[in-house]
Amino acid sequence: MKLRLTDLKNGESGVVTSIKTGHRRGHGGHRGAGSRWGFRKRLEDMGLTPGTRVTVVKSAPFRGPLEVHVRGSRLALGKRMAERILVEVER
Amino acid sequence: VTKKKLIVALAGNANVGKSVIFNQLTGLHQHIGNWPGKTVEKAEGTLHFRGYTIDVIDLPGIYSLSTFSIEELVSRQYIAVERPDLVINVVDASILERNLFFTLQLMELETPLVIALNQVDMAKKKGMKINHEKLEELLDVPVVPTVAPRGTGVYELLQRAVETIEKRGRAHAQVKYGEEVEKRIEVLSDLVEKVPYPYPARWTAIKLLEKDEQVEREIRRINPEIISAAGKLAGEIEQIHGHSCSTVITSERYEIAGCIAREVQHIVPLIKPPMRERLHALTTHRILGYPLMAISLLSIFFAIFTFGDYTSELLSALFYGLEPIFESVFGAGIVGQLIWGGVMEGIIAGVTVALPYIIPFYLALYFLEDSGYLSRIAFLLDNVMHKIGLHGKAFIPVMLGFGCNVPACLGCRIMETERERLLTAFVVTLVPCAATTVVVLGLVGAFVGIQWALALYIINMLIVFILGRMAFKALPGEPTALIMEMHDYRVPHLQTVAKQTWFRMMEFIKMAFPLIIISSLIIKLAEVIGLLDPIADILSPITVAWLGLPAITGITLIFGVLRKELTLIMLANLFGTTNFAAVQGFGLVEMIVFTLVTMLYIPCVATISALVREYGWKKTIFITVFEIVFAIIVGGVASRLLILAGI
Repeated sequence: MKLRLTDLKNGESGVVTSIKTGHRRGHGGHRGAGSRWGFRKRLEDMGLTPGTRVTVVKSAPFRGPLEVHVRGSRLALGKRMAERILVEVER
Repeated sequence: VTKKKLIVALAGNANVGKSVIFNQLTGLHQHIGNWPGKTVEKAEGTLHFRGYTIDVIDLPGIYSLSTFSIEELVSRQYIAVERPDLVINVVDASILERNLFFTLQLMELETPLVIALNQVDMAKKKGMKINHEKLEELLDVPVVPTVAPRGTGVYELLQRAVETIEKRGRAHAQVKYGEEVEKRIEVLSDLVEKVPYPYPARWTAIKLLEKDEQVEREIRRINPEIISAAGKLAGEIEQIHGHSCSTVITSERYEIAGCIAREVQHIVPLIKPPMRERLHALTTHRILGYPLMAISLLSIFFAIFTFGDYTSELLSALFYGLEPIFESVFGAGIVGQLIWGGVMEGIIAGVTVALPYIIPFYLALYFLEDSGYLSRIAFLLDNVMHKIGLHGKAFIPVMLGFGCNVPACLGCRIMETERERLLTAFVVTLVPCAATTVVVLGLVGAFVGIQWALALYIINMLIVFILGRMAFKALPGEPTALIMEMHDYRVPHLQTVAKQTWFRMMEFIKMAFPLIIISSLIIKLAEVIGLLDPIADILSPITVAWLGLPAITGITLIFGVLRKELTLIMLANLFGTTNFAAVQGFGLVEMIVFTLVTMLYIPCVATISALVREYGWKKTIFITVFEIVFAIIVGGVASRLLILAGI
């Protein structure tokens, strides 16, 4: 089943299939840190590449960030960022 | 004896203990500055080893060598263009896979390399054993296990580094991608080979396939045909794999890193979760995490302010004890007045704030940061900061702002984009610093009531929130989301914390003191030649008519530009008493309005200099003028509301 990372329950894990960047490529082709392209690259650089297993540990209250484990490291991901990460989950 | 000079750069992920190794290597021979033209910090140090003078450059902690941040750009430019004799790659043994991902990129830059396999003790505690000989063999790069805080392995690291430099020409293993990618890298690098470009051809080819913005731009200028060839090849890879070419390359690179990691590490699962894991769970708990955070931060603030108050008073008593001596040497004439009231008062202003408040603040900050707690706070507060368009990490400079706005403005560098740095800096300049707190407590707290002092703080925080939100809406660009590593809790290395504080302190003194002294001198000069009263008269439409304050407050507000608590000290001087309750025409309403204006009206001279350094004159002047106008408006409105309310 394909879900957004934010749809996973605490303790559940899935395999990254893709990261949505939306249709716009940042601002006028800019691919730095402020653009969505930049953020997909950043997530991938942190280890969230397609095929990677990621575990959601918990989320902070009031739509706060997600705590995830990926490739042996612990990351905090903002909610709106995490919503763009699609994962394959066995349920 | 002529000593040969070597340059060695330290590179690695954030939080791998790189700065501890840097400190172990260089001791106190350090210099912290900026990369030319960039707001990225450059730490340099020197050491002597076996007849060599070795310059050590500490590169920023990064996860990749792409164009995501200025730090990444600076690092790769430095390694490829400036060509240090060697790069020491500090690797966190307990997160081997992700660290090796970075190592592979360093190898692609074809720089001479030695790996410091750091925190092997932490890895062991996590049940990981790493075969470093095997790692060395697989990468064909010297690997030295280290435990930086204890200095273990640091000597051997240096030995291997020097040996590697002496045995010039020793190449490490090449990073091999999958066949489809590899074939195209070769085709492209043959093309790149023919053009003059400072980066290695193979690396350039990979970056072109990844659609790296900077490399594309620079190569297009040399030969646009290469770009179209790269576009075609990247398109083919996308066709085959169904993902963007940059994703494919990153995935494959991670695949290689993962293979190596699995081959060299042996993991024994732990039976029960260790203490630091339970501590992590507790401090990030969705309910308990918040009161714990409040208690720890409040007690730190309390400790800093108690210490600061006491020391600040002690120091200023000490300095003012020198006044008679100065008077006897320079006389009480204009020269004497300028030297004491201008230069010395400026120095006193700096010292009595800098030492007592800023030093403990930095110590606390680095302690929190190094231990890992700061990232947990950022995790808990991310959604609050998002309301003003920032993410959790912005909390760190904001917290610093309560101590002093100057380090806080510099601390905005941890934000990823220029837009967020500016936005955070703007918010920070509105945060009441230690000096402002002195005024709030000394005037409103002492004479109106502590509940009013508290109310002023709450109003200030609301203003920060509202203005931050407005600035966030007004500034173009999208907000960025939080992507932050929360490294394992660890005991901070005290020596490194102390050294970082020390160098930060020196930076503050160098930056702020000249401006404080110069403006102090100018104001004193205005006073000596009798300009202050006319200025107070000129300001009276604002101070008297609009704000309803006595005319002399205009003078004190001018002095407050040097440092905020001077408004209170000058007020006592001009009124001739510290019992403000006895002053005619300076009642409760006036005290509250005066304090409110002081809290908001201008970033002090030192903060202005920090802003100029980070964001240039234009933005600084805009922020400064805005805050003056805003404070006057708020003050006037508050004055009328308070009178209406019959206080």
